[in-house]
Amino acid sequence: MIKKLTLAAVALLLSLGLSAQTYTGGVRGTVVSRTDRAPVPGAVLVLYQGTAEVATVTSGDDGRFLIEDLDNGIYDLVIQAPDYLETRVNVTVNDGYVKNMFNLSLTRGAVVSEVDVDNLVEFDMDDTGYGDSPTVLFGQNDVFNNMAGYNFSAVRYRVRGYSSESQDVYLAGVKMNDAITGYSPFSLWSGLNEATRTKYTVNGAEISDYGIGGYNGLTNLPVNALSVRKGWRGSVLTNSQLYRLRLMLTYASGPRDDGWSYAFNVSARLGGNDWVKGVYYRSFAYYAAVEKQFNDAHKIGAVIMGTPGERGAANSSTQEVYDLIGDNMYNSNWGYQNGKVRNARVRKTHEPIAILKYDFTPSHAFNAAATVLYRFGKNGYTALDWYDAQDPRPDYYRNLPSYYFMEEDDYNRLNGMKAAWAEEVWRKDLPQYAHIDWDRLYAVNKMNVEDGARRSKYAVQERRTDQQDLNFAFNFKWRPVRTFTLTGGADAKVNRTEYYQRMDDLLGGDYFYNMDSFAERDYAAFPYMTQNDLDYWLANGRVQKIHVGDKYGYDYYANVRKWNGWLSGKLNIGNFEMAVGGRVGQTAFWRHGLNRKGLFPGLDKDGKPMVIDGRVVTTYDENGEPITSYGKSKVARFLTYAGKVNLNYVLPGGHRFYANAGYFNDAPNFSQSFMSPRTRNQLAPELTTVKTLTGDINYQVSSNGYNFRITGYYTDIMDQAKVMSFYDDSQNSFTNFALTGIDERHVGMEMGWKIPTDIPNLALQGVIGYGEYYYTSNPKMYQTIDNNASIVEGTYGVTVPYWKSHPEPDGTIARHYVESTPQLAVSLGLNWNWNYWFVDADIDYFGHSYLSMNPLYRTDYATAGPDKEVTPFEVSYMCSQEKFDPSWLLNLSVGKSWYIQRKYQLGFSLNAKNLLNNTWVKTGGYEQTRIVKNTVAKQMFYRFDSKYFYMSGFNYMLNIYFRF
Amino acid sequence: MKRALVILAAALALASCEEWEPVFTLKNGDVDMYKAAELTPTATIAELKALYAKHGVLKIQDDDMVIKGKVISDDHSGNIYRELYIQDETGVISVKIGLSSLYSDYKLGQTIYVRCGGLTIGQYNGMPQLGVEDQTGEYETAYLDNRYLIDAHVIRGAFGDPVPPLSVTEAQLQEALKEGYTNPLWGQLVTITDLRYGAAGSYASDHFKRIFILLYVDPYKDKKSSTNRVFCSSETYGVTTWAMSKNKFLEYLDAGCFDRCGTSDKGMDDVFDEMTGLTVKESIRANATAVTTSHYFHLPQGLPVQIRTSGFAKFADTEIDPDVIGDLNAQDGVPISATGIVTVYSGAVQLALVDENSVKILK
Repeated sequence: MIKKLTLAAVALLLSLGLSAQTYTGGVRGTVVSRTDRAPVPGAVLVLYQGTAEVATVTSGDDGRFLIEDLDNGIYDLVIQAPDYLETRVNVTVNDGYVKNMFNLSLTRGAVVSEVDVDNLVEFDMDDTGYGDSPTVLFGQNDVFNNMAGYNFSAVRYRVRGYSSESQDVYLAGVKMNDAITGYSPFSLWSGLNEATRTKYTVNGAEISDYGIGGYNGLTNLPVNALSVRKGWRGSVLTNSQLYRLRLMLTYASGPRDDGWSYAFNVSARLGGNDWVKGVYYRSFAYYAAVEKQFNDAHKIGAVIMGTPGERGAANSSTQEVYDLIGDNMYNSNWGYQNGKVRNARVRKTHEPIAILKYDFTPSHAFNAAATVLYRFGKNGYTALDWYDAQDPRPDYYRNLPSYYFMEEDDYNRLNGMKAAWAEEVWRKDLPQYAHIDWDRLYAVNKMNVEDGARRSKYAVQERRTDQQDLNFAFNFKWRPVRTFTLTGGADAKVNRTEYYQRMDDLLGGDYFYNMDSFAERDYAAFPYMTQNDLDYWLANGRVQKIHVGDKYGYDYYANVRKWNGWLSGKLNIGNFEMAVGGRVGQTAFWRHGLNRKGLFPGLDKDGKPMVIDGRVVTTYDENGEPITSYGKSKVARFLTYAGKVNLNYVLPGGHRFYANAGYFNDAPNFSQSFMSPRTRNQLAPELTTVKTLTGDINYQVSSNGYNFRITGYYTDIMDQAKVMSFYDDSQNSFTNFALTGIDERHVGMEMGWKIPTDIPNLALQGVIGYGEYYYTSNPKMYQTIDNNASIVEGTYGVTVPYWKSHPEPDGTIARHYVESTPQLAVSLGLNWNWNYWFVDADIDYFGHSYLSMNPLYRTDYATAGPDKEVTPFEVSYMCSQEKFDPSWLLNLSVGKSWYIQRKYQLGFSLNAKNLLNNTWVKTGGYEQTRIVKNTVAKQMFYRFDSKYFYMSGFNYMLNIYFRF
Repeated sequence: MKRALVILAAALALASCEEWEPVFTLKNGDVDMYKAAELTPTATIAELKALYAKHGVLKIQDDDMVIKGKVISDDHSGNIYRELYIQDETGVISVKIGLSSLYSDYKLGQTIYVRCGGLTIGQYNGMPQLGVEDQTGEYETAYLDNRYLIDAHVIRGAFGDPVPPLSVTEAQLQEALKEGYTNPLWGQLVTITDLRYGAAGSYASDHFKRIFILLYVDPYKDKKSSTNRVFCSSETYGVTTWAMSKNKFLEYLDAGCFDRCGTSDKGMDDVFDEMTGLTVKESIRANATAVTTSHYFHLPQGLPVQIRTSGFAKFADTEIDPDVIGDLNAQDGVPISATGIVTVYSGAVQLALVDENSVKILK
């Protein structure tokens, strides 16, 4: 510590380079928790003069710190620690004395950072084009994000309405957003709360030390051994929303005299929950880190971490199902097998991350770090598969009363008797019909004997997404003079992800046919076209039989290459700071098919069209290129760049005004760029970069127990792309849909506060997030038939006319909004602390939430109906976007800790959420991309019912921990 | 602290054992096969059909009425579709079960009991059918297409040997046609031999028939309107497959095979829809789907037999042997034998092949 400080001082002197004068002034003190006056070790204290950074130190085990060799003057001391809100203190150094600040107290953030990063039941969103990742990170220092992270997570709140991809999440300086989808990758370390507790976050378009970042903040989790709290910590947790039991054990050595330090963190999360049947956890997590400081300048560290395990997923259903069965948390993914619950949708993962990091700190004025990070392993998701059999899903629309009877005669659904039978299934919750009937699936397979063996008609497949993700990142920070800082770096990513289907369980059968059942519908007489593996069929003259463990269906590599270089300069003049930064890079990706699918055989190995049974089977796209499932696709390349400006003005008393602006030109993600990556190499048309323009202005005060931030922001996101595959009734076929040119605007404000009251130990706290996030363009769509890649006339290369808005019959225009997050979210609460007790009570309000739209309903085709005539009523009916009812929530948390012999700490926290037990709060959903077409009057089409997710009712979490 | 531990213990105890199964065992164990049911039939299939003969369409009120029969239909090829044919010693009844792949659950030769109470006995163009009441009034019976409803009425009994196809003569068919609805032949699995392609002077006014197909110009408009229907009957139109999948149909359509057909008031190239400007042919093309096709054959005494194949059958696009079709003018196609479910349709004999192996060329 002393060494470090001396070094800091030396560097300071060098960088100032003004005189040989030795300063003798300084500042000392102890960082304590405001709650209980307990020392806070590991707090990072940064001393500023004006906006210029003067020194950085870390508090010791006893919470103490010392900064010496300071010139006389007025300073700003900013203190940050995990679980606490950032605070700022004014320090005046005069007459060369070391000023003792005594206790500097930090206000605890939401005490519930024990919650998992994957704190919500995972929904099975395959093929819907719908993503459900929340974007608020827990345990941040920022007063808004800290509270919003906890209180708003229940409704899947997205900060400023942005999608998960926009949130940059770094691990040890390496950007970890998924190479293929861009999603923030929290699940890679869920269950490792202690190892990932320390984080460095910037909001909005601020520039970080780890990269230029985007428009939705950047968070870096250092995860090195020294970032873990020193000592032992064990905890037992039970909760009623996700899993019953979590056991966690952590140890960190802290810095040792020999320069070594190490840490580990292990956990197990087990059991089911009160709300969604079939959802369970059987997840484990491990983390081990070691670090060695060689001398002042060199530090090398290694980390290995992973979260092996599995968890059952939930599914969304229509309101009809929820109402009939009387439970908005109904999950159609499970059923009884031998009287025991079995979930068909289980995520099975083990993706270890190995990190090697080198830190170089030759002087206080310069530091640099280089990281190599490798992510690998398996990521699987099971699902029912069937061939030559009936749809086994219990809530398939033909199993619902509405399929047989509708009040509206125009549907021509008049059979009340059948509806009554169907209704009884749900009202009585008959297990064989209202849930997956595993016993029947087994019986069907066992009875289906062909060629002396049992051919499975039903099976459980595992959809694998196995990544090999190698990253290199380098960054540096150089402060040649006190008033100027240059940060920069470079990073590169090489990713090869294999997407394939693996046979997980044949459900009592011996083999499964590797056939494409959708293709068979159209090409039954051409067996070569229905083969998932044409080469096998050609070599063996018969369809491939699949056994457990075999790959089948599709198999391809997604290859991604990215590199970036970035640089930012920060200038400090008095209380004013300006930073300008930019990055430039390239992203390239391509698909590489590993099996030849009968529908799209492409060229043979000699580059000639393929001929089978005298027929040329190679097909070509509209540009004359062969359509192929096999081999390497064209490489999509994008130049990416971004520029940012940050302005910052600080005033004594912890006040800070700042503004940020940025422009970003980013590559689309692989996952949104291929028309149908499971079947062919065809890129979506008119792929282009996503352009984003953003600006925000902010005022923040964090001092003396007061924390407040208010922000106004404005963001335009342009040229986004999206692909979907679904069964389209209008084409009687599985189809692929590509949308390009989706533009959104996000404008709004956020405000957060925590303010002490006159009543001792009582603070007021709250957050308001209010914005309008809406679509500003009508995208173009490109529909192709999945079975032959042929263009669908009328829906290929045409504009979706009612995407951003639609006219109402009264002539008004109804705007369409960005979905699945409340655009108004408010939390008001009280926080009380006394003698190691705390009580938090909050009331939350959520409004202005919208359902995710499907593009098909916003087309001329859908609004015209069978008579091809578009009427104002049809436009209003088809194009309207559902707005969810607003909701209220009441939450309460209490906790207490005890110090035993001043050595041990024992404590508990109990969080009770949704005390009003509201079980009717929709948190998201989507419109089914299907149309009811056979009507009586033959004038209009009807929508299918939408599917919804609901928030669970009352739930609690009790955590008991022990530290020593 | 103690209290907290008590709460924790209580919380864990509250958790049901059920939710821990997948956590610890991950095994649900193997599953037993269906247990074969055994019910006592109270009526024969002939008695059931007699109810219709006596009363017309009838919703059966007798909750205890049970019939028993063996499964004789197999829908693995998709040609026999959404119907389960069961046979006892008195005849056959088609149970209208509105699901595909019925052979997954109901095996050839398996005994089936049907609880008839609440079901409706009726007919479709002369063919007896057991279903549920059709509340639209469009048909006499509707499908049982909800699994709960099906399982409540169609009960699986013991497995047994499949019923071999019955060789049926032209005379037997003639006699069955005369008797109509109640004749026990209808619905049986039969083999008809000595069938030759084409049908001269069929039961009604048709002069000479090769194929019959019905296309809807716009399936989302009134399907019953003759201005929305295109019939292609009498000649072959160059169709050489048993039926047409969507893609095969498009091949035929684009080759101009059906250019001489039309609706009651328009030819294929006339504008069908003023609003879109689509011609009849273009509209058919835009709405193309698989096409069920009948091929006409005749027996030595001249009785026509339609071999009717679904466009969704797996063998829909299978070519008919050219020798079978022969030289159309010379009417010299070679005779075949065909095995399938024989039905009556408006006084004509129809045969639904089991699969592509159901046809044998007799030379």
